[in-house]
Amino acid sequence: MRRHSLSRRLISSVLLVELIFAVAIIALAAAYERHAHLRSFDIMLQGRADSLLGAVQDAEDPADNVMLDRTGLQLPAQDVYEVRDSSGRLLGRSANWQGPDMHNLAAGDGPIYNARINGHHYRVLALHGLRVVDPGDKGGGTPRRILVVYGAPTAQVWHQVRNAIIFFSLSNLVLLIVTGVLMAWLLHRGLAPMRQLAAEAENISIHRWSFQAPESAAETRELAPLASALTGAMQRLEASFSQQRRFVSDAAHELKTAVAVVKSSLQLLAMRQRTTEEYAAGVEVSLADCERMEDIVARMLTLARAEHSSGAERLSGIFDLAVSAVATTQQFQSMAEVRFVKLTVTASEPAFVSLSSEECALLCSNLLLNALQHSPPQTQVKMQLQTETNRAELRVEDQGDGIDAALLPHVFERFSRGDPSRSRNTGGTGLGLAICKAIVEKASGTIALKSEPGVGTTAVVRLPVATRPPAGGSQRFDLQTTPSA
Amino acid sequence: MRVLVVEDEVRLADNLAAALREGPGFAVDCAEDGEVGEQLASQGCYDLIVLDLMLPKVDGLTVLRHLRGRDNATPVLILTAKDGTASTIELLNAGADDYLSKPFDLGELIARAKALIRRGKGASHPVLAVADIEVNTLEQTVRRAGRLIDLSPTEYRILEYMVHRPRVIVSKRELLEHLYDYNWEHHSNVIEAHISNLRKKLMADTDQQAVETLRGRGYRLVADPESA
Repeated sequence: MRRHSLSRRLISSVLLVELIFAVAIIALAAAYERHAHLRSFDIMLQGRADSLLGAVQDAEDPADNVMLDRTGLQLPAQDVYEVRDSSGRLLGRSANWQGPDMHNLAAGDGPIYNARINGHHYRVLALHGLRVVDPGDKGGGTPRRILVVYGAPTAQVWHQVRNAIIFFSLSNLVLLIVTGVLMAWLLHRGLAPMRQLAAEAENISIHRWSFQAPESAAETRELAPLASALTGAMQRLEASFSQQRRFVSDAAHELKTAVAVVKSSLQLLAMRQRTTEEYAAGVEVSLADCERMEDIVARMLTLARAEHSSGAERLSGIFDLAVSAVATTQQFQSMAEVRFVKLTVTASEPAFVSLSSEECALLCSNLLLNALQHSPPQTQVKMQLQTETNRAELRVEDQGDGIDAALLPHVFERFSRGDPSRSRNTGGTGLGLAICKAIVEKASGTIALKSEPGVGTTAVVRLPVATRPPAGGSQRFDLQTTPSA
Repeated sequence: MRVLVVEDEVRLADNLAAALREGPGFAVDCAEDGEVGEQLASQGCYDLIVLDLMLPKVDGLTVLRHLRGRDNATPVLILTAKDGTASTIELLNAGADDYLSKPFDLGELIARAKALIRRGKGASHPVLAVADIEVNTLEQTVRRAGRLIDLSPTEYRILEYMVHRPRVIVSKRELLEHLYDYNWEHHSNVIEAHISNLRKKLMADTDQQAVETLRGRGYRLVADPESA
């Protein structure tokens, strides 16, 4: 891709426009100059022809002829003229005109015409004048018609017009150059905030996310949106990146600890000779440790899948949450019994949500497991599913000791534990609620925890009901399942 | 020797405790969170603290800073799952004596634990000698005047503790504190019985008394046998 420079484009367009105007101005000026100079040239011709006419004198001969008296006449040497009387008799002509009757040069009807004389451009005036011979006689003298043809070279006019064109061209050229340089300098100055912004953006790296738009950019009206967009984008990126990094570091800690448990169990076993029974017990313990590690890995993968599913997968399944709710509750009955917790489920109507059956099961089981883990004996855990026209609400309520208000905002963070010392012992990995959140958000729903310390915790999941139930349909659960604890 | 293990992963803490008891024969107490860990550590009866970093309530680094802030000089071995020199530097600057990255080798942990205890008591060599008594803390053997003496584990532990503190009167209470963990029912006459056995075994061939009893005050390892 070819790069193009905004400043260069701007400067060249401005210069182009200026150039077009300059050419027009020069053309207009040239036309005007030509017109004005020709006018004054014609007046000059007229004057000189008049003075020639004035030089026609009575010849004082019997025929009352006229003659051209050239004494005192000062006419430019290159001018040509010819004076004739009405009979066509030549009264006088300039020395440099040897040609035929000069009046024959006339091309048109007008008194002034252009002609080429002696290889030069001339402007010629044909002046018909009247000269009265002996005006003192009776009858007012004898009028004599005189024709003066006078031509002067136009080279001077064209020279002046050319000078005017050169002057205008030069001044316009200077103007163009000044404009170009000035614009380049101003643009360079004006774009400085942009370069500062770019320089600041250049500093962003994987290790340095902080981006503070330079003040010059933030104060520039055109750059302010870009600067604030960049700042915002960087902040979001940094937040998401640091969250990822925290997840990786937390995951590494969890895994390393789990590996440390397995390794130390086996090393402890190998520390000295032991009896067969001791070995058997040790292997059993190690296997349990391995299973815990497996569980952590599986949960991390589940979370990663739930969080990074693509758009196509998002629309993959529609499943009845009621089926999952009831099935999961049945699965957890035995665990609840061991802990002396009463577990009930209410899911009377189907609730089709945009989740696969595995995701529905995962959501229900994580919520139930969480509730059961925090339930002291002789309490109750209730799972309720209510369906409205376009929304399903799943509530899981326990009567445990609740979550500290300060910890409540962090419960959906990965590897968070309400009370770490306890949930470690109850087998929590701190990923359950994060998985729930990822699943719920995938189906465009919301999840929230309400907790009152000492009274209990309620998880509320709200999901939009999918419009299209799957072809096969699903069983209806009209009965209220309340298995005995 | 008595060790405190502060680790929230119960299974790992169990394994550590078992290894430290079985290997070098230390008395081991466990704490599951930083708060309890700090409380126990502050009592000053431990010869080594094994401290995890990521702990509930109070994290390991804070516990360590609090301890060092209160002039508690007990050697501290940090267990960490974090990598990177930055955190290592921070740990050592905060007063940690050594650290191990998870997952670690139990053998290495025990070796480092022994070395830390030894150095914490001012000895650099694993073989300690007071007068003609020589205690090899690696092999856990005792020789007097070059001859191997067979001691029970408890007797060995008492002698090892006293060898670290020659010429100092060691009270029964101190011995109880440093040789038994919290699960042990404290009976001071147990110590008396072990001391008496130890004295007999050390006396086996010579007439030189090795362990001196100072009534009402405690016991002392005689540094110079001639003066006994």
